[in-house]
Amino acid sequence: MNPTLLGFLRKELAQAMRDPRMRVAIFIIPLVQLTIFGLALSTEVRRVSLAAAVRPDDPAGRRLLERAYASGWFIPARTAGNDPFLWVRSGSAEAVLVMPPRGLTAALLKGDARVQALIDAANATRARGIDTYLRAVLAETVRVGRGPPPAFRFSARLLYNPEMQTSLFLVPGVMCLILGISTLILTSMAMARERELGTFETLISAPVAPWEIVLGKTFPYFLIGMAEVPLVLSVAYFFFGVPLRGPLWQLALGSAVFVACQVAVGFLVSSVARSQQQAMMGGFIVLFPGIQLSGIIFPVENMPAAIAWVGYLNPFFYFVHLNRQVMLRGGDLGVFLKNLLPLTALGFAAAAVALWRFRRTLD
Amino acid sequence: MIFSPRRAASIARKEARHIWRDPFTMTLALGLPTLMVMFFGYAIDFDVRDVSVEVFDHDGTRPSREVAAGFAASPYFQVRAGPVGGDPILALHRERAKAVVVIEPGFGRSVRGGEAASVQVLVDGADNAVAGVLSGYLEAMRPAVARRLGLPDPQAPARLESRFLFNPGLDSRWFVVPGLAVIVMGIIAVLLTALTVAKEWEVGSMELLLSTPVQPLEIVLGKLMPYMAMGVGALLFVYAAARLVFGVPFMGSHALFAVCALLYLAAMLSQGLVISVVTRQQQLAMQLALMTGLLPVQLLSGFVFPVQSMPAPFRLLAGILPARWFMDATRALFLKGSGSGEVARPMAALILLAAAFVTVAMRRFKKDLEP
Repeated sequence: MNPTLLGFLRKELAQAMRDPRMRVAIFIIPLVQLTIFGLALSTEVRRVSLAAAVRPDDPAGRRLLERAYASGWFIPARTAGNDPFLWVRSGSAEAVLVMPPRGLTAALLKGDARVQALIDAANATRARGIDTYLRAVLAETVRVGRGPPPAFRFSARLLYNPEMQTSLFLVPGVMCLILGISTLILTSMAMARERELGTFETLISAPVAPWEIVLGKTFPYFLIGMAEVPLVLSVAYFFFGVPLRGPLWQLALGSAVFVACQVAVGFLVSSVARSQQQAMMGGFIVLFPGIQLSGIIFPVENMPAAIAWVGYLNPFFYFVHLNRQVMLRGGDLGVFLKNLLPLTALGFAAAAVALWRFRRTLD
Repeated sequence: MIFSPRRAASIARKEARHIWRDPFTMTLALGLPTLMVMFFGYAIDFDVRDVSVEVFDHDGTRPSREVAAGFAASPYFQVRAGPVGGDPILALHRERAKAVVVIEPGFGRSVRGGEAASVQVLVDGADNAVAGVLSGYLEAMRPAVARRLGLPDPQAPARLESRFLFNPGLDSRWFVVPGLAVIVMGIIAVLLTALTVAKEWEVGSMELLLSTPVQPLEIVLGKLMPYMAMGVGALLFVYAAARLVFGVPFMGSHALFAVCALLYLAAMLSQGLVISVVTRQQQLAMQLALMTGLLPVQLLSGFVFPVQSMPAPFRLLAGILPARWFMDATRALFLKGSGSGEVARPMAALILLAAAFVTVAMRRFKKDLEP
């Protein structure tokens, strides 16, 4: 290997790894974060605090409430006072069932039973889920011991994630975020530091070719990023039990292209920034929308065309998609390429602009 | 020597001039909130609609075609016939469809014979957003399909009538846009504070400043003031956008909201200060600010993933995030019109956290001054 490059490599790695706090920040904190988010986050509608006022002579109403608590979706709410609206507003109950005036039992005998549900819809998505679950519980409660099941039904089956575990869905995504954030920030700062400290001029005047400078300042961070890949992957695979259904080479190639792309974007940011502080803010300006539109926090598939193109410039979007496809669905080659090619193009585009700016500073 | 507001103000003026000159900080402070509000307002749609569905009709009778027509008539689905002789699983594997409907041979006979008939639906479980709502969609369209098939579908003996309080139209923007204020404010406060103060330490200008007659408290307040103003500016911007552009109601008390916002800002600014004093180095400060500020604020604050759904230890962990409490208060004040008694809990938590962070920041800062 080129001795100049080797020297660069040794120096950059030593500099990044010298500070033990930095080693922790690069290798330990990402794993801790992945673990915490994987365990904590859930899109399931769980632990909905449910309250109801049930008359003592209303066994059907009581049964409805018991079934709701037994379903695992609802927990009893602690309420004070007797205004259901205030229970919901104060947050002590997320949903309140209001039985018919003479009780559910009496209403069922009369044949027209209407149970009212007051649902806290401050979170609209969650409110919809609560509504669906309450309907299911009610239907089940009144069906017991009453006539045959419906003559027509759908039998739905979930492939790839039959138990709807949120972690299987989230962990492959959060992996990408963690990988992308540290790679981009490290790269953008390294070059900016040289510039800020004035050592950049020394570097240029040294007998080193420009391409050696560029490679020497970026390749080490590619290596650090790639070293993180097996770490986060093992946490996902061994700790969270995320399957790896597709071929490993797709994951490896995808990660390499993604990390290279993040390095290129970091390089681009650093070629615009004049100080470390600017480099970090620049990195942040790129990262924040990237994370928001990665498809992890929000569904991004149905964006209107006028705005979707911004989403198509987002490396996170492709890698999250690719990673989920390989790990969960089994790595279809067509889908793999559909995400890999734009990712590659983005990486080259970022590198090209960064190089062009870099040359301009050299002249 | 006593605290002099004049000296603090001149430090603030100097810092403000720095910010004004720096295109990056200005982009971060102005561009980011604008971009995010635009995205959330116009681009992101929580309502899963037009779910792509492929129908594999292996029966080919009138009843089986009625089922396919039922899907086509539903506003939730975008229906296509699957390729003849194709493998339904491949449609999911290749991501051509989010769900496939498989109608087995003999379906029409069962329907005509009055037997119980079922249709299989395979759902892409790797996409949470779709998988989560699909069973609800199917249950909602079942009666209509049963009617199309001429099957008896007796009215359920009991009906649920839901009233969606505080957001009757179930507009997800009402939920997201106010939350955005919390995110943007928090990130600006932690990140910028951590960075700028760490830089003063790294470059050595902090020592220089401290050797001047300016007092430490004046320096800190002076440096933080412009960022506080930026945080307040971001809050006002998001507030205006939410009210005027997206029609989100504000039912609560503005005074309460202002108090909560200031407490939140104080907590986040001191968090940034702690980071900068502990690290005294920009690169590390940035890493720490990103680790503690960027992802946790977005993921653990209840912005999208509800805190109630978290397992108990993580609910406690989220409890030490000021963002989690300000998120609660913001939504309660915007949408629910809660009174002071109802936001007492988040407010108490914010007071506690702000006090704790400010104390730690001041302690560390003082300790660093001693030789």
